This record gives sequence, C-alpha cells and structure tokens, in this order.
Amino acid sequence: MKKLIELNINDRIYEVAVDARDLLIDVIRKKVGLTGTKKGCGDGDCGACTVLIDGKPELSCIKLAIASQGKKITTIEGLVQEGGKLHPIQQAYVDHGAVQCGFCTPGMILSSKALLDRNPQPTEYDIKHELSGNICRCTGYKRIIEAVEAAAKVWSKEGVQ
Amino acid sequence: MEKNDLKSKWNLTPEGWNLEGVPAYQDEKRYTQVGRSVPRVDGPIKVKGEAIYTGDMTLPGMVYGKIKRSTYAHAIIKKIDFSKALELPGVLAVLTGDEAPNKWGIVPQSANETALAVGKVRFYGEGVAAVAALDEETAEAALELIEVEYEPLPVLLDPFESMKRSNEVLIHEDNKGNIMAAGDQVYGDVDKAFAECEYVLEREFHTNYPQHGFLEPHSALASYDTQSGQLHLWASSQVPHYLHRQMSIVLEIPMNKIRVTLPAIGGGFGGKGEAASSEFVACLLSRKVGRPVLVTFDRQEVFYTNKGRHPCHMKVKMGLDKDGFIQAVDFDNTLDKGAYSGWGVVVMFYTGSMIHLPYKVPNVRFRARNVFTNKPSTGAMRGLGGVQPRWALECMMDEMAEMMGISPYELKMKNAIESGHTCINNMFVPHSEFKKCLTTAVEKSGFLEKQGKLPFGKGIGMAGAYYISGTAYTLYQNYKPHTSVMIKVDTEGGVTLFCAASDIGQGCNTIMCQMVAEELGIYYEDVHIQSGDTEIGAFDLGSFASRVTYASGAAIKMACVEINQRLKETAAGMLGVRADQLIIKNHEIYSMYESKKRMPWSKAVETYTSINGTIIGMGNFSPPRRKGIDIITGNRVQGANIGHSPTFGFSCQVHEVEVDVETGRIYVRKVTEAGDCGTPVNPMSVDGQVEGSILFNIGACLYEDIKLDANGKLLNPNFHDYKTPTAMEMPEMDTNIVESYDHTAPFGVKETGEGAVQPTFPAITNAIYDAIGVRFYNLPITPEMVLKALKDKNK
Amino acid sequence: MFLNHFEYFAPKTPAETMELVARLGSKAKILAGGTDLMVVMKAKAISPDYLIDINGVEEFKGIICEEGKGAVIGTNTKLAEIQFSEAIQAKYPALAYAAGEVGSSQVRHMASLGGNSCNASPAAETPTPLVAIGAKVVLSSISGERELPLEEFILGVRQLDLAEGEMLTKFILPEPAQRSACRYAYMGRRDAMEIDCVNMAVSIELTDDGETVKDVKLVMGSVYPRPLVSKEVPALLIGQKLSDQLIEKVAEATQGEAKPIDDIRASAEYRREIVKVLARRLLKEAYAAAQGV
Repeated sequence: MKKLIELNINDRIYEVAVDARDLLIDVIRKKVGLTGTKKGCGDGDCGACTVLIDGKPELSCIKLAIASQGKKITTIEGLVQEGGKLHPIQQAYVDHGAVQCGFCTPGMILSSKALLDRNPQPTEYDIKHELSGNICRCTGYKRIIEAVEAAAKVWSKEGVQ
Repeated sequence: MEKNDLKSKWNLTPEGWNLEGVPAYQDEKRYTQVGRSVPRVDGPIKVKGEAIYTGDMTLPGMVYGKIKRSTYAHAIIKKIDFSKALELPGVLAVLTGDEAPNKWGIVPQSANETALAVGKVRFYGEGVAAVAALDEETAEAALELIEVEYEPLPVLLDPFESMKRSNEVLIHEDNKGNIMAAGDQVYGDVDKAFAECEYVLEREFHTNYPQHGFLEPHSALASYDTQSGQLHLWASSQVPHYLHRQMSIVLEIPMNKIRVTLPAIGGGFGGKGEAASSEFVACLLSRKVGRPVLVTFDRQEVFYTNKGRHPCHMKVKMGLDKDGFIQAVDFDNTLDKGAYSGWGVVVMFYTGSMIHLPYKVPNVRFRARNVFTNKPSTGAMRGLGGVQPRWALECMMDEMAEMMGISPYELKMKNAIESGHTCINNMFVPHSEFKKCLTTAVEKSGFLEKQGKLPFGKGIGMAGAYYISGTAYTLYQNYKPHTSVMIKVDTEGGVTLFCAASDIGQGCNTIMCQMVAEELGIYYEDVHIQSGDTEIGAFDLGSFASRVTYASGAAIKMACVEINQRLKETAAGMLGVRADQLIIKNHEIYSMYESKKRMPWSKAVETYTSINGTIIGMGNFSPPRRKGIDIITGNRVQGANIGHSPTFGFSCQVHEVEVDVETGRIYVRKVTEAGDCGTPVNPMSVDGQVEGSILFNIGACLYEDIKLDANGKLLNPNFHDYKTPTAMEMPEMDTNIVESYDHTAPFGVKETGEGAVQPTFPAITNAIYDAIGVRFYNLPITPEMVLKALKDKNK
Repeated sequence: MFLNHFEYFAPKTPAETMELVARLGSKAKILAGGTDLMVVMKAKAISPDYLIDINGVEEFKGIICEEGKGAVIGTNTKLAEIQFSEAIQAKYPALAYAAGEVGSSQVRHMASLGGNSCNASPAAETPTPLVAIGAKVVLSSISGERELPLEEFILGVRQLDLAEGEMLTKFILPEPAQRSACRYAYMGRRDAMEIDCVNMAVSIELTDDGETVKDVKLVMGSVYPRPLVSKEVPALLIGQKLSDQLIEKVAEATQGEAKPIDDIRASAEYRREIVKVLARRLLKEAYAAAQGV
C-alpha cells in the first residue's frame, strides 16, 4: 500500500503517495510534474538526473523518494530568480554557448551550483573534477567550463545564493 | 515602435570582415544578422528545464509501451505466448512482429527491417514483442510474463566469418554470401599508375564499433485518433520526413493522415537518423488500443538498437610519384553491417567517394562489401562513411611523408585541392579554403617546430579532412525539392518561418532565424520559427549529412525574394523612388542613392497588409543534379549518387598527445583546429559544434567500443563500461574559423559539425607515432595496445 | 528499471537499527548511500525484502580526528565529507585522495565509507588505503561489538566476515607513526567515473635515521577477490634503505603476487604491468613523503 509522504522541492511542500520502491526521479517527473530533471541512463552513470539535496548534488535515478523526506530538494526549476530572471549560472550557460541539445544541461547546472556553493573560486581542474559526473556529448565541455568560470566571477561580485 | 526599440541588442558592427572601401549596397558580405554569435533561441528554456522532450510529454489517457527484446543474437522464433501478460491487470494490449510485417528501411531498395522481429531474430536485443499498459511498472512486469521459445542458430560476429560461412548460416535469405551490398568503381588505371610510382605503400586498417551516446534515449509518443484515423507522432528524431514515410509504409496509413512533430531533441549525431522501434511500436500500439502510447527506451535498449559506426576493415594502397603527388589509391573495404540494411548502401559508397577529396587523386580503384553479422545494426554516425577512410588515408599520407623525408604538411599542401576542382568521379568543389585550414592549424600549433622534436612520450600529429554539405539525392527515388520553407509576414504575428527541419541540438533553429532576419533586413529576435512538424512546416528531408544550413539558407533566400519585392514596391510608392533602388536593412527601407528617402520596415508591412492581407513567401531548394552525368561524354559517371554535394566544408586538426609509457595511457593535451565552413552563420555555434566533434571522436579513438561475448550478447550496454569522455578527458582546444565565403552558396555557407570529426582519429594516431614511434592500425587505441607495442619495439 | 517491492524502515537510533538488523537478518539490506545497492537491485541481481535506511541515525556519521588520537569515522560518513575534511587530508591524505576519486561528485555525496567496504567489490577504492593505514572496523549487534582489521573483514567478492545480526558501524584508524606516510594511486581507462583496473596503497614507516624502512604495507585492489596485502614487500624492504634497484625488485615481486583476471575493463596481463608501475611509483612517493614528514 502506498504511503503519503511530504517532499520539499524548491521550497514548496508536495504531498505524494509513493511505494517504498519509487525512485525520486520518477516521483519528481511524474507525480510532482517537474520534468526538468532528465533520465539519461537510469543507472547513476550519466548525471542528467542530478538534483540538489540539502545543497549537495545527488543522482535522483538511484535515490528512493521515501528516503528524501525532510530534506531540501532543489531541481532545475528551482533556480530561476524572482521575476523569472535567470540565475547567474543559467545566464552564463546561455551567454557562453554552453547549451546545445540541452539534455545534460539541468543536471550540469545543478552540479555547477553545488560546486560554486562549496568553492566560489574554483580552478579549471576543480571544475572539471566536480563536473566529471555529468556527461555531455554535444559541447565537448569547453563552453560549460567557461560558463562556470564566468558565473564564479558574478558570484564573487554579487554574493549569490 | 520607437526607433531605439528596433535596435537589436546585439552588436551590429561586423565581426572580422574587412570591408574597407566597399560600398554597403555592393557588398553582399556586409551582414548584420548572419555571422553573429547570438545565443540560441532555445537556450533560456533549456537552462530553466522548461524545454519539452518527448519523454516529458503527457497526453490525456496516455499509456506506456515497452518492448521485449531477444536474448539470442540469432534464432528462429518458434512461439510467443503472451497470454499471461494479457491477464496482468493494467495491461491493455500485446503486439508481435507478425502484426506489422511490412519491411522498412531508410534506403528503400534495401529495406529489410520490420518493426518487431518476424520469424527470426538477428541480433541480441532485437524487439520481439511489445506491451501497452497503464503504467511503466506494469508494462515492465508484463514483459517478464511473455514467453518466447527460440531455436538458436549459429551466430556470426565478424564479417569475414560471415562471408565464409554463408553456405551454412544465412542471416537474410535474400542476401547470398551474407552480403548486404557490394560495389566497385574504377577510375583511370591504378595498376599502371602504381607501376610508375616512386613511393608505394600498402596497409590494413581496422576501426571499432562505437555508439553515438546521445544523452536522451529514443522516445516516441503516438496518438491515434480512432474516429478520424489520424495519427500524430511526437518523436526524438532527426528525420521527421523519413519517419513520416516509414510509419505510412509499416502501418499502411496514407501519409496525409500522419503528422510527425518533433519536440526538443536531446542529441542525435546520426543515431536518430532512421526510424526506431520505439516509434513503430508507439504507433502500432496506439492504433491498437485507441489511446496515446509513450515508448521511451532505457539506456540498455539504446545500446541494443545501436545504428552506430560501421566497423571497417580497409586495405589501402597509395602511390606517390617522385615529386610527392598522389597518383593512385586502391581502396578495399569490408564493412560490418550488423543485422539490418538501414544506411548500408549509402555508407559503403561514401567510404568510396571519400577517397577523391581533399587531395587530387587521378586514379582510383574502390571495392567494397557491406556484410551482415548478428550484431546490432550499424548505421549513420557523425561523419558517416567518412571517418573510417579518412583515418586510413591520413595515416597513410603521414607514413608516406616520412618515406619521402618531407613533412606531412608539405605533402598535404602539394596535393590539396583548390576551389573549382573537379574530381575524377565528377564531384565538383565550387569553393575550398582547405590550404588555409592546413596553414592556419600548422602555424597556430607550431607543428613544424615540434614534430619529431618533442621528448619521447610527447608527440604532435596532423590530419586534414572534408565533408559534404548535404546530399545530392534523397534516399528514395524522388524529384521534389529537398527543403521547402514558408515565411509569413503580417502585423499581427510578425515574421514566422515554417520549415519541418529538425533541431537536434546543433542549433539550426537559431541560424535559420538569423538567415531570415538577414534576408528580410530585420533582427534575429523578430523571427519566430515553427520547425520540426510535418503538418505545420514545409517539407524538409532531415538533419543528416550536414545539409540543413545550406539547404534551408537557399530556400530562405528564395522565399524572401517575393516578400522583399512586395515591400519594396509598397515603399517605393510611398517614398517616390524606384523599387529596385531600395535596400532593406536594420528594420528600415531606404534608397541607396538618396538616404533621406527612408521609412520603417514595419510601416511598409502595415501598408501592404492592410491592402492585401498577409504576405507569404515560399522557397525551395534542390541540390544540382548534373553530377551524375559527365558533361563532355554524356556518360553516366560511377559513384554518381553518393558523395556529391552542392559544396564542401574542410578542416585540419593538429593534436598534441602525451603517452604515459609505463601505463600506456594516452592523454590528448591540446587540439588546434582550423575549419572552412564558409560563412559561419553563428560563430559561437560553429565553435561549439567543432569542440563537441573533437571530443566525440577522441572518445571513439581511445575509449569507446561496444563489446560482445561469443554469443553476441552485449557486455557493456551502459555508460559505466562504455566509456564516453568526461570533462576530465577534455583537452585544451583552439578552434579557428578560417575566413571563407562560398559564392555559390546562400550567404556563403558550408557545413560544420561533421567535417570536424574527420581529422581526429588520424591526427591522434599520427601524434602517437611522433610520441613513441609506433603506428597503430586498429581502433580504439587502448593502453594495453600501447604497452604491448612498446614492449615489442624494445625487443 | 524498477526495483522489487520491499518494506522500508528508517530507524532513528543505533539501538533501533541493531534491533532491525537482528530481527530481519539476511532478508534485509542496509541503505546508506545506495549507489551500489540501488544499481544492483535495478539489475534484479538481488531483491531484498527489507531496506533499513540508516541515514537518519546521526551516530553513524561523522569524523573524529584529533591530534595524536588517530581517527574514528562513522560508517555512513559520505565520501565527499572525507574528501574535503581538512583533518583527514592532513593526517590520512591517501584516504582523502581515494575518497575523492570514487565515481563522480554526485556519487561521493551519496556514498558512504562503510558501503564502499561492505559492498566488497574487488575494485573498491577506499578499502585499499584503509587497509594500508591499518584501519579496523567495528561490527555491532544488539549483543555487543567486536573489532577486526579491515583486511580480515573483507573476505572475497561480496563476502564479509559479518555474522547475521551484525552491522559495520565505525572505522577506527590508528594514529600514523612518526616518519611515516601513506600514498594511493589507481589506474583506469579514463579519469572519472571509473571502475579501477588496478588500485594500490603503500604505507611506509622509517626508522629514526629517516632512511631505513621500519615497516611497510603495500595493498593492492582489483587484482584479487579482496584487498591483497603484499607479503613480499615487507620481507624485502624492512631494514633496508630504498634504492632504484631495490624498488625495481620489489615492484616485480609485487607483480608476482597479484592475481588479476581478464574482464571487459582490462586483461590480466595489463593489470600485472600496472601493478608493477604503481608499486614503483608509490614506493618512491611514499618513501619521499615519509622522509619529508
């Protein structure tokens, strides 16, 4: 029998009925209806499903929904700022041509945010190392790294959340 | 509208064009919208997670389809018992192959694939049945309850074995020798030429079996309306038109009752350039249950259905005269087709036509055969038919340059073609800056100063390449234009471009808006685009062979002629000048001779439409067809069908590698690239495509390969054992767009995105030779191979 | 792609956890990070009836690393925490480095140190330096606790010296000796999200003269069903001063001890080559670090 749980997603509480075995990605995409989080492989290998849980990047395709209660979950939809303005990382990705097919983009942006939250002045190696869990097939990563570097500059200027 | 509001927020001064002293109206290169690195139109929605991909869609009453896949690589299907599956609560229908036996194939003459297996399975993972259920979990559980009885047959995993044992084991009854297609083309007299050559080299090359690895698995949502008999298919596909055709053939529904719409697509690279079982099954099940059906592959299924690059076993012989000019190439290729025909004929002949460029080759002999094996079918993969022979030929040239004692740069410059070259197979190159690509890449990388001079373990290598900008023919006998566009202009909707082209992430939606804006004299942000829909958009063949920029550019130019003419006539009347004196640029219409005579573009639109209504411009593009016939003799030229293109893009790459001689690991440290893509409509997009291409092929060169066991079962159908490059593998990349303008092309454009994959394999292979003195003739080049080769060398 | 149905428990205290472990026995699996467990369950290789989610038990997390007192690391401490812990980076750099190279950033934020050992995959990264450091595991049950060295805990592929009703709760790391250093290295096909084809850790302690080897432990991973502790290396090195020839000899001996297999990631022959290369490099690196300490 399904259990009613509360998930805090993007600072909003969603009540959903889940089986213990339901994975967070399926609950987010199908029950809550936020399809920005993408399923690229379902096995924890590609990073497209990355969400932030209490600010830390995690793979929602291998995370149980029922184990995500009581945590602050952030999906890509949660990054947009007041009035629909893009978060500096999102803006940087757009400006630097870091988006082509866009499928890896939500996960990549959240991993970038987790990195900059922890280390606002990353080196190129830091960026590569922290984003190596997000596979991109289109861009060759160069512009993604440039976008993160550009966002880091905005970070230090504006003190972003 | 205020004058200020009309200014595009993008910098309007031309980037990099030298326009000294050239009057504006005479300089067709003085672009304001084309040649700008504007961000993609779909960038913001993608970074917000709002872009809708097929798997994100929900329709009322939608149910889910899943496919049961064979666990044998070659077997007769004796029985399928799905009674238990139907009894499972929530299961609506089961589908088997015999319900849709019509054969389909991207090349109709060789079509031999069915939506699901009929009678026998020919590769591990081939679909044998499908279910539609209320939710995915039920669908998956139902698959377990379908019982299939197989009679295993011997498995052929290698094309040579396949040919040898064809008397015993025939994969397709109609294909003797297990040969899907064979071809040979002879130009000139290679044997005579070789006899007179000073330098002759013969080598064998073997490429690997990689996969596209796009992040979005195939996904299809079909909605069949029982009352009207109309079928609407949303799919992650590069070829809405071919999809449209194939659905019609397999479902036996007329094309005008089928509509294909493409949502956002998460990458293709050729892997979504054919119909997929997801699309057929979604349509068939939807018709069966009368409800929308969504089929999304899991990653394993993407690997099983593959359609990746053909492994090629090539025997190459090249001859140079004493001055280093190429006199002859003899090229023999055995391709591994996998289980079904698909793109086979096309890829095979492309490998042949790749010999003729980008160098002058007066004598060629080409023999090839594409052979069936019991492996997931190979198909079109970025740079189709070009990557494998280019690797072989560029490595050969490197080796021959060494034989001659000259640098590979010198050898290439000697033999490089120039604008206006006609190949011996009648391919005509209207424009080329190949030499500029070679020189730019070599100078920027310091190749000549470094080659042969770096410490052991460090090396530098170069390679040149080219690619087509669209095919000469459609893949089925047809004379219609390859691309049509419709542009609507009025005061309510503004400017809308309708074209069924497919943006798979390469950014064609953005550049089409740029081209429309340029041609109409407005700003790129003013243009709306409706693409990827066969009902709304005008016909387009699809995103493959790097055709969309050129084809849509030509069609757009034609569509704008009509619109501009009407607006100019309207303005002429209002301004009191002649229509042919008017220029439309930056939202203004003005006389080129009397600058005071000007008016806002929108006013002309308003005036015209209030009299005549909406303005529609139609444009078409067909690539020229003369190439099949030799103009002088009137004879049909061999190989005429494939490889010809209205124009060609060129590139050169220089790779610097570091080999860890103790572990055999190869690190690509820096790549310098110079490409001729004609006018870069969007330079940032071009760079993005080139950078992506480089890393894409670094993966296939060093890390990627689909592995199978002796029974044909895939051993690594997942991303942790099929190793695509991560950010850690990214080299430093210096990409350069050489100044180039193809006068025969719309806006001077050519291709990008597939040309840049071609030099990667050989540049790395040549760099490894420079680093450790070992040449590799097999891909991927693994650390194990490197260690073994170093050991053998030291013995 | 879907897991089997199971009953889910989320205990809040160690006592509650032990009670569940005792009661549910082998029908239950511990859910810590889940990065191995979920993948294996999705592949339907195992279908446990119960999952015990220990992420709500604060006592199972945390690093206590004080000067002179070694370290105690809770089983459910995430690898990312170990990677970024300044205390661990200073005292056990090999462990911090190994933790920082597991999988991807996302995996490191989910995966636990205990899970990386209990999964007992031969290619696991953190057991190798932990064994070299001399880590012990604490196995708890409702009836008490016992300690044993990690190399005696991991018995083989997915085989542990873990009785029913027991659970790994802590790692106890000894204080590194004076003039000692431990270093870790691995080799894979690419530099991220890798399943190592070989990994290795070397711990060296020098005598007061700062040149003679007092104690050495070389541990190999991915070349044996469990972390392989070299017997030859101590025999050859203890009491000796390192020289290039000695290192070469030791590296070859290590190569002989390794028993790698062929699999789709690498051949046995290649793994043996890498064992020698890593042994050579790590011995030099650890020796130099011990001298510098």
